[in-house]
Amino acid sequence: MVALALAGLVALATLLGMLWRASQGRVRLAAGAVTGVELGGRATLLQLSTEVCAPCRATARVLGALSTHDVRHVEVDIAHRPDLVDRFNVLQTPTTLILDRDGVVRARIGGAVRRDVVAAELEKVA
Amino acid sequence: MIQRPGIDPRGPRFSAGITAVVLLVVIGLALGGLTFAATILFALQGLVFAIGAFAGVQRHPCGIVFKRLVRPRLKPPLELEDPRPPTFAQGVGLLVTVVGLALHLLGVPLALPIAAAAAFVAAFLNSVFDYCLGCQLYLLLTRARLIRST
Repeated sequence: MVALALAGLVALATLLGMLWRASQGRVRLAAGAVTGVELGGRATLLQLSTEVCAPCRATARVLGALSTHDVRHVEVDIAHRPDLVDRFNVLQTPTTLILDRDGVVRARIGGAVRRDVVAAELEKVA
Repeated sequence: MIQRPGIDPRGPRFSAGITAVVLLVVIGLALGGLTFAATILFALQGLVFAIGAFAGVQRHPCGIVFKRLVRPRLKPPLELEDPRPPTFAQGVGLLVTVVGLALHLLGVPLALPIAAAAAFVAAFLNSVFDYCLGCQLYLLLTRARLIRST
């Protein structure tokens, strides 16, 4: 009986972990425009991070590697931009907003990003 | 942004794994009626959380075991990580343990296995899925303006 309860707990925890994993790095639709950030000529990869955030470092590396002369990677500590946090209802860090040249949000990715997913979204931005 | 990585990320994952197993034992003992043993073991785990939270993960007992016994057998890590999120997570574990023990001593039924189960899920998710509960809570506390960036 006790063994069953323990097995059930482990199974539940495993399920939660798998659901969480599946939700990370997915692109979601988003609307709105961002101001107060220096934009790239074609697109901006705006990464919203906190100071204590293990996945933010890896994401910064991936986004940095994708930046070019006209695609800019900008990392912002959300403690400095509570307006962005409220407007976009940021619930996890990193949260990445892909902006076009006018600062309009074209896509949003929660959690650690995957390079291929970001690259594909960047193709779609003019 | 703050860039002070310093520790092998497998250390905290290893500690979280050991913690998860210990907490499963606590739950098993509590559900099996061996309440005194469960309480003692849970309190010991709380003590370990306290060491990790206040002395830092590097001085965590499991962290030390990892450094001396496990790490020399592994290839060097691909990258290092900031020790602050796992240290913060130890603090969360400590809080859950203290609350669980307090409620248990006050006679709240199932307080012990429930608190241990909550801590287990966090430790398990961290060890197996690399989920950083400390990071998540830090964000929510920052949003609630309870924490200021240093």
